[in-house]
Amino acid sequence: MSMKPLCVKLSVQPSRGLVDEKFTVLVQNLLPGFQLTVHALHQCEDGHSWEAFAHYTTDATGTVNVSQDPSLDGTYSGVEPMGLLWSLRPVPGSKSGLRMRKMNVLTPMVVTISVYQGHQMEGFLDRVSLASVVVERWYMAPGVRRVPITDGKLTATLFLPSGAGPFPGLLDLWGGGGKLVEYRAALLASHGIASMALDYLTPQITKETGKMVDNDYFETAYRVLEQHPQILGSRIAMLGLSFGTSVTLRMAVYSQDVKLSCAVCISGSHVQPIGGSVEQILAYFNGNADKTRFDENNQVIWRDLLLPIPTDPSLKVDMGRLQCPLLLVVGEDDQNWPAHECAMDMKEMMERAGNSHLLTVLSYKNAGHLIEPPFMPFARASTFKTVTNPPTKVMALWGGELVAHSRAQEDAWRKMLVFLRENLYGGMKHGASFSNL
Amino acid sequence: MIALGGKMIPCYTVQRNLACIQRTVGGVRWTSSCRPAPLLTASPVRALIDDKISIRGHFLPPRCPVTVCAQMQSDDGDLWEAFAHFNTNSDGTVNLTRDPSVGGSYLGCEPMGLLWGLQPAPGAREGLRQAEKKKVETPYVMLMSLLKGHVSPSERPSTELAAVTAERWYMAPGVRRIEIRQNGVVGTLFLPPGPGPFPAMLDLWGMGGGLVEYRSALFASRGYASFSLAYIGHKDLPGPQNLINVGDPYYKSAFQLLQDHPQVYPDRIGIIGLSFGVYLALRLASHSGIKPSCLICINGPAGSTIKLADADGRTEQTENDQKYWTYDDQGNVSFRAVSLPANLSPESKVKLEHLTCPLMYIVGEDDLSASSVENANLIEETLSAAGKSQLLTRLSYPGAGHLIEPPYTPNSRASLWSVKPQKLVTLWGGHLAPHAAAQEDSWKKILEFMETNLRH
Repeated sequence: MSMKPLCVKLSVQPSRGLVDEKFTVLVQNLLPGFQLTVHALHQCEDGHSWEAFAHYTTDATGTVNVSQDPSLDGTYSGVEPMGLLWSLRPVPGSKSGLRMRKMNVLTPMVVTISVYQGHQMEGFLDRVSLASVVVERWYMAPGVRRVPITDGKLTATLFLPSGAGPFPGLLDLWGGGGKLVEYRAALLASHGIASMALDYLTPQITKETGKMVDNDYFETAYRVLEQHPQILGSRIAMLGLSFGTSVTLRMAVYSQDVKLSCAVCISGSHVQPIGGSVEQILAYFNGNADKTRFDENNQVIWRDLLLPIPTDPSLKVDMGRLQCPLLLVVGEDDQNWPAHECAMDMKEMMERAGNSHLLTVLSYKNAGHLIEPPFMPFARASTFKTVTNPPTKVMALWGGELVAHSRAQEDAWRKMLVFLRENLYGGMKHGASFSNL
Repeated sequence: MIALGGKMIPCYTVQRNLACIQRTVGGVRWTSSCRPAPLLTASPVRALIDDKISIRGHFLPPRCPVTVCAQMQSDDGDLWEAFAHFNTNSDGTVNLTRDPSVGGSYLGCEPMGLLWGLQPAPGAREGLRQAEKKKVETPYVMLMSLLKGHVSPSERPSTELAAVTAERWYMAPGVRRIEIRQNGVVGTLFLPPGPGPFPAMLDLWGMGGGLVEYRSALFASRGYASFSLAYIGHKDLPGPQNLINVGDPYYKSAFQLLQDHPQVYPDRIGIIGLSFGVYLALRLASHSGIKPSCLICINGPAGSTIKLADADGRTEQTENDQKYWTYDDQGNVSFRAVSLPANLSPESKVKLEHLTCPLMYIVGEDDLSASSVENANLIEETLSAAGKSQLLTRLSYPGAGHLIEPPYTPNSRASLWSVKPQKLVTLWGGHLAPHAAAQEDSWKKILEFMETNLRH
C-alpha cells in the first residue's frame, strides 16, 4: 500500500472580482500543523514586481482560511482577509519611490497567489511553490462602457454603468500630479454612477497652448455630464483628491453653472486665493515653497505650505455659502497637505454660518495623504513629478502607516459609496438603474 | 375585455395603463423620495459556469410583482432568454436564493433557474443546442434586468427598473489551453495555473464528434489537468469523418501523453466519458493495459453501438446502424434502442470483470438517446458477478435526459443532429427542472469522486 504524496488544493473565491471586492483564500488537503507561507505576486504595468506574504499553520483539518486564520508573520500579521493585496510592496532590489497605479482599466490587475512550504521570508521567485492560482482584479464591472471625451477641448474619459440608465453623474478629479487617471471613475461606474475622469493640469489643450485651464474648463465638463442622454442632469456630484479638492470646493461654492447634488473631498484644503485662476492657486502654493521641509530620508514634506490656516477670508473658500452635502475624508498623518487642520477649520466656518448639517468629516488616525480605493498597496512616500515648467522630480512624503492607512481606505470607500448613493439616488422621481453596489 | 373609447382591450393591459397614470395604484409606489432607486445585483458578477450566483433586487416597494429577466447571446449570435415572476417581500427585496418563482421559465425556489431555464428567444433558429460553447476562452455575457410587474420579456414596453451584466466563464484566470497535435493524437489540453504536478482527466464525448472543450476547461479551473480528445468527425483525424478511424493504440497514445506530461501525476489520471465515450472509457480501462485511477461514465453503452471494423475498435460504415432508430410524431429521431444491450455487437461488449478502479455511472432516466438504464444494469450485474460491486457508484436521476453536462446550463430536449443527407432533429430527453437538478447534483458528485480518487 503506497502512500501517495499529498495533493494540496489552493483556491481563491472569487477568482475574478472587482478591485474593491473581498476574496477568500483557502488552502486545503495538507497535514494538520503544517507550516506554510501564502504569497502574492503582481507585476504592474510599468514592469515592476510587487509581493506580499504571510505565515500560517494549518489547523486540525489541514486547512488554512486566510479570512479567518491569523498570519503569524510576513508583510502583515493577524487576521487580515485582504492583507495579501494591501500589503503588497516592491520586491527586494526594486527602485525606490514606486507607487502602483493602473492606467489601463480595460484589463484586470493580475495577481498570482501561491503556497510555499515552511515559513519563508524571501527568495520566493527561486523556489517552487506547492500550488498557485491566478486572480484577476477588475476596475470595470461587466457592461461598464469606457467613452473617451474630447468635446469642448476636454481631456477626459467617461465611464457609463451597464444598463439603460439614466444614471447620476460624477466629475472625478485627481491632484497635482496631473495626467488622466481613470481607475477611480471606472470603479464608481461599476457601482452605478456615470463618472468622468478629467485631466485638468496636463490636458491636451495645455500641452498645445502652454496655458493652464480655468473655471470654464470645469464648467464645460459639468455641462457634458449634464447634457448626456444617459445621465440625470439634476444629479451630478464632484469628487476631488488633493488639489482636486481645491477645484471641487471652488466650483461647489462659487460657480453659477455648476449645481452639485453633493461633493466628496479627500485630503484637500479650502485654502486658496478666491477669485484666482487655477494657475494663480498653484502660484499661491509655490509662493510658500520656503516652508517645504525634509525628513531624515530627504523626503519632501509640503504640509506646511498652507499653514497656518489664514484668517483672511479672501484666502479661503467661504464654506458658509456651501449649499450641498459635503463629505471630507482626511488622514491625520497627511504629510503632503494639512488636510485634518483644514477640515477642522471648514467645520468651524460652517458651524458659524449655520450650514454644518451639510458636513460629514471622516478623519483617520495614522492615515496619510493618498486615500484611494481599498486593498491597493500603500506608499508612505513615492516619486512625484510636479506639473511646473520645467517639472521637478522629488520624493514626496505622503505619510500614513500601513495597517491604519489600509483600514482607512476600506472604511472611507464604503462610506463614500453610501454617501454618494444617498445623495444621488435618494428620492428619484423616475426609474434610474443602479446596477451593482 | 373592456371597451375603452370604443376599442376592446384586455383587462390586464388596462390595469397596467392605469398604473402608469397614477403611480399609486393599489397603494404601490414604485418610486419614493425616502427610498433609493431599485437596484439589481448579481454576485459574483464574473463567475465560473459552475459557480452559483446570488441574484437580488433591492429598494422595491413591498409585496409587489416584479419580473427578473436574463438574456444571453451565444457565440453563434443566437439570443437565449429566461424570466421569472416574483412578489417582493415585506422589506421590498427579491432574492432568488430565498424566493419562489410564481411564473415564467421555471417555478418554485431555484437560485440558478434563470440560467438553466434559458430558452431560445422567440424567432430564434430551430433546433438549437445551447450548452456548446466553442470558444472557451471568452465568457458568456448575461444581461439581467428587473422589470415592473409580472411580464414576459417580449412584452414591450415594460419598465426596466434596474439591470446588471454578469459574465460566466469556463476558464478560471491562469488556466492554460494547449492544442495538441502530437503522435497523431488530436485534442486540447487544459492545465491549471501553478507548477503542478496535477491529477488529470481524459475527457471523451460522443458520436457528435469534433472537439468539445468546455468540460475540460472547467476541470482545469478546478485544479485538474484535463485532456479533451477527438476521435471522430475532426479534420485533423484520418478520414472519412463519419467513421471512427482510430483504434486502441490511439487512445493509449493519448493516455500516455498525459502520463508523460511533466505537470501531470502519471498515477493520478481518470477518464470521463459521455455517450459513446462511455464505451471507449470502459474499453480502455478493461482491455488495453491502461490503468486509470477512476472512471466516470455518463449515459453510455457497455459495448459498441457500431459494428467494429477491427479488433482495435475502428468502425465500419453500415446502413444497419439506422435500423434501431425510432421516430416520434414530429419526425424527430431517438437513438435510444441502438444501445440496448441486446443490440450491441456481442464481441464489443466490454469485459468489465477486468476492471480494477472505481467506476461512477450516471444515468438520466429520461435518456432518449441511449439505453442508459439498461446498460447501467448490465454493468452492475457484471461487476456483481465478478465480486467487484464495491467499485461501482451508480447515480440515477429521474426526469434527466442524455446530455448530463456541467451545471446551470440549459438542456435541450431535442436538437438538430444533421442537415445532410436529410435534416434530422434528435431527441435527447430530459425535462427542464429535473435535468437541471441532475446536472447540479452529478457535477458536485463528480468533483467529489475525482477528489477522493485523484487527490487523496
